[in-house]
Amino acid sequence: MELSPFQLLEVMVAVAALLMLGTTNVRTNLTMFAAHTTFLAITAAAVGHIRHEHTLYAIAIMFFLIKAVGAPYFLRLIMKTIEVKLDIGAYIPTPIALHTGIILMGVSYLLARELPGAYVSADATYGAAASLSLIFVGVLMMVTRRLALSQIVGFLVLENGIFMFTLVKTHGMPMAVEMGILLDVLVVVMIAGLLLFRIKKSFEHIDVTKLTELRD
Amino acid sequence: MNVLLELSVIPLIAALFSAAVRSRIVVRRTVAVLMWAQTALALYLLLPVFNGARLAMPSADFLIDKTAASFIILTVIVVSASVTHASVLYGQERQTHDSRMFFAFTSIFMVAMIAVFTCNNLAVMWICIEASTLFSAPLVYLERTKTAVEATWKYLIICSVGIAFALLGTVMIFAAGQSTANSEGSLQISQLVLNAPKLDSSLLRLGFVFCFIGYGTKAGVFPLHNWLPDAYSEAPSPACAIFSGALINCALFGIFRISQIVLASKNGHIGFEMMAIVVAGAISALAASLFLINQHNLKRMWAYSSIENVGIMLVAIGIGSGSLFLLQAINHSVAKVAMFLQSGNVIRVTGSKRLSNLHGLISFAPEQALLLALTTCAVMGVPPFGTFCSELSVLVSSADARLWVVAGMLIVSLTVSFIAVCLHVGRIVCGTPRPDYRRLPAFTSCAMPLLLLASSLALGFLFNSHVWNLLK
Amino acid sequence: MTGYHVIFPIFALSLPLLLIGVIRKLKARFQNRIGAPLYQPLIDVIKFLKKGQVISEHASLALGGASALSCAVCMLLTLSAPWLGVAHSIIPLDIFTFIYLLVFVRLATLLVAIDPNSPFGGFGASREVLLSVLVEPAVMLCLVSLAVAGKSTMMSQLFSFSDSALLHHSGLWLLAGCGLYISSLVELSRMPADDPTTHLELTMTHEAMILENSGPNLAAVQYTAAMKLAVLLGISGQCFLHAIGPLWTAGAVVQVVASCLTVVILAGSIAVIEGTVTKLRWTKLPEFIAYAVGFGLLCLFQAIGGA
Repeated sequence: MELSPFQLLEVMVAVAALLMLGTTNVRTNLTMFAAHTTFLAITAAAVGHIRHEHTLYAIAIMFFLIKAVGAPYFLRLIMKTIEVKLDIGAYIPTPIALHTGIILMGVSYLLARELPGAYVSADATYGAAASLSLIFVGVLMMVTRRLALSQIVGFLVLENGIFMFTLVKTHGMPMAVEMGILLDVLVVVMIAGLLLFRIKKSFEHIDVTKLTELRD
Repeated sequence: MNVLLELSVIPLIAALFSAAVRSRIVVRRTVAVLMWAQTALALYLLLPVFNGARLAMPSADFLIDKTAASFIILTVIVVSASVTHASVLYGQERQTHDSRMFFAFTSIFMVAMIAVFTCNNLAVMWICIEASTLFSAPLVYLERTKTAVEATWKYLIICSVGIAFALLGTVMIFAAGQSTANSEGSLQISQLVLNAPKLDSSLLRLGFVFCFIGYGTKAGVFPLHNWLPDAYSEAPSPACAIFSGALINCALFGIFRISQIVLASKNGHIGFEMMAIVVAGAISALAASLFLINQHNLKRMWAYSSIENVGIMLVAIGIGSGSLFLLQAINHSVAKVAMFLQSGNVIRVTGSKRLSNLHGLISFAPEQALLLALTTCAVMGVPPFGTFCSELSVLVSSADARLWVVAGMLIVSLTVSFIAVCLHVGRIVCGTPRPDYRRLPAFTSCAMPLLLLASSLALGFLFNSHVWNLLK
Repeated sequence: MTGYHVIFPIFALSLPLLLIGVIRKLKARFQNRIGAPLYQPLIDVIKFLKKGQVISEHASLALGGASALSCAVCMLLTLSAPWLGVAHSIIPLDIFTFIYLLVFVRLATLLVAIDPNSPFGGFGASREVLLSVLVEPAVMLCLVSLAVAGKSTMMSQLFSFSDSALLHHSGLWLLAGCGLYISSLVELSRMPADDPTTHLELTMTHEAMILENSGPNLAAVQYTAAMKLAVLLGISGQCFLHAIGPLWTAGAVVQVVASCLTVVILAGSIAVIEGTVTKLRWTKLPEFIAYAVGFGLLCLFQAIGGA
């Protein structure tokens, strides 16, 4: 399929997120997350350029600062504080997770063709497919990883997918709303990080499969 | 000055006060008084809505109609009752946690909850519901034990993921508004309800499904309810009371607004989406009642009872009747808060949450046992308490709408849960007490639950067609 | 026989040794020493050709014969595959012939390893077979998706700059290039799959297989490895080059120069990787290879999606 540069950018956002599934090294995951979020911020700026909406430039810059710079930095700080380098593991082997993510990307392309409405280019299926695949990748990461830090990264990827969906499928989302959503995400990350610190102190590990004391 | 700002001033002052002032005695007494002042202010500001007045709001994104006003008053009363009981409680014993944190976070939490009910804009409502999740997480974490940390983690992660899905649903509904001929699209609920038949139906349905999954996680709908028993068993009893009495209403209110849009798009017919809500509600109620049979922890038991009531309220929303939802919410909140506060007393008397350690209360502290039994009856829907009237109304309405299976499921679940809970509570009340029970000052510890119980009784007696019309 | 037909084979057959020299020089720079001159591998090959052999008494004709055969097949591959941006080739090469020729080279190397009956050769061969089985799907998927999108299996047609149907598929070329690059790191036994400079036999894969060679056999084996490096890096470099839009309309000279530069740059990148990255643990290699297969799958989706 022939991709315009903008569509290529969208696909790169999705591929960069996909690569995160293939490794359990936390530092690599955070670097890939920063790269993927940077691509997404560039996509947001590109959309602003195409549609001549200047508020999107400001949103793109805030998004970059908060999610591509701030969140990975904060998580790296937490990583150093609780001294975890490698994910303890995942419920499914990482190569299979990577391939499942790729297959889900194909599925999301098929799903995106069913959605009506297109605003950025004449054919916005790639953007919608990329955002749906980001959502799938985020959920996959949250469900299959055992390390609490990886689950936070998965949650952030999920939010990125939703942001991209907003970008591609709608126009005129008020700036205040976007800011509010970004702020909420930031606060979630901070609270989760602080909680991780506490979990490490209480439990000596952050393996969520061992958080099983509360049962019926 | 707009009403939202006026309603937020007192809680914010209370929060700042609790954070800044050192003396715990001063803090807890002042905050209790401030909360009742807030109740009076809310009543004063919101009663005109019932006569049809429009209130000044910051922008068109905020709107208070009668349902919203009733919920705000309910929330404020619930929080005031819990905070008063908490301040009495903290006066009697030293706590392991810093009680000022409790008051500070509860106040901010209350502002977020009030804001949810005033929202006319889907995205702003999302932000407020997310904010209420974030500000209630510290309340679960107050005791700082290992299990509290685990419960807070589960609460935060599961609810945040759920609410992220709700954001996706919100965006899809926004897109549904844009892909029609008039491509402006709107996030405002009143606009969406007006334009509902013109919205793109597949996007609207997808958006509804995601929003339902998201807000349903927050409310505790059956497969996504895992965080609820854990969070309720770890938070202190006054906080549990607020969660069950007010926070659940916020999430259900979100579902209610979305269902209004969907209902308007179908011109009032109960379509696939409303049936989905009803069925999900019935399944939640049934599942919760089955879970109630085999319980070992007092607060987890009441958590499952809350899930069951969420199911009943979902059936009310699904039938399309906002006033039924409001009625069930009011009765459930009042009775549940009384229940949780009284459970807190029982736990203090016996020193344990485990049901196997709770027995023989009636011979040790008859007033506590009697109050426990009466509040159990209030929650489980025994006449003449108000819960009986509202549950019966829901059953009758579901039968009117010819939803026989759903009505049957509700009847089964109500019966099973009643029997199970009475068995458990009966074992608490009867038997021989253990030697390590403590005495509690009877009047102060029982005052608030008794007041709420009386209110529940009054609601039951007052329920007649006049009240019904007023709520509509 | 025009001048072109004389110059091109000489150029194509000497560039591989230059690439090896580039890699060693850059690695030396990373290790803070000056390193041997760039033409050192050529001198090494000539030196080995003149030396005598020490052959194990358990070895048969296969030891010498297979080395020579693999060298000859690799020369054929070097002169046929479009790794330098020119479409002329000795034999018409389609993608399956390409893959099978590479497999043949590997088969010959395995024979050389197993023939002398030494334990090192044995376990080196078993590891090499395992890695090749894992990495084969990656190479296959990348090339087949190029064929599907280009509606032809002839490599010269797919990789030509003028009459290919793959003109604007930049995404496909980019992903195929990444996939081929990662799988060539494994096929060539380079970091992070295998350390070519290790002296610990138990960590070797490729080096263990060629331990028994000496003299002319060793010269043949080293030259084969150099040519394989050139071809594989060249093909992945071509994929990256085809992703750049303006290059399609530039002249043939520009394309050839760009191709040579790309191969040299990719060889340099291998040197950078070897200087900075440590060898992966054996059990982590499938995860690394999964990335190559993943890229191959993405290429396949792209190709099918456009069809």
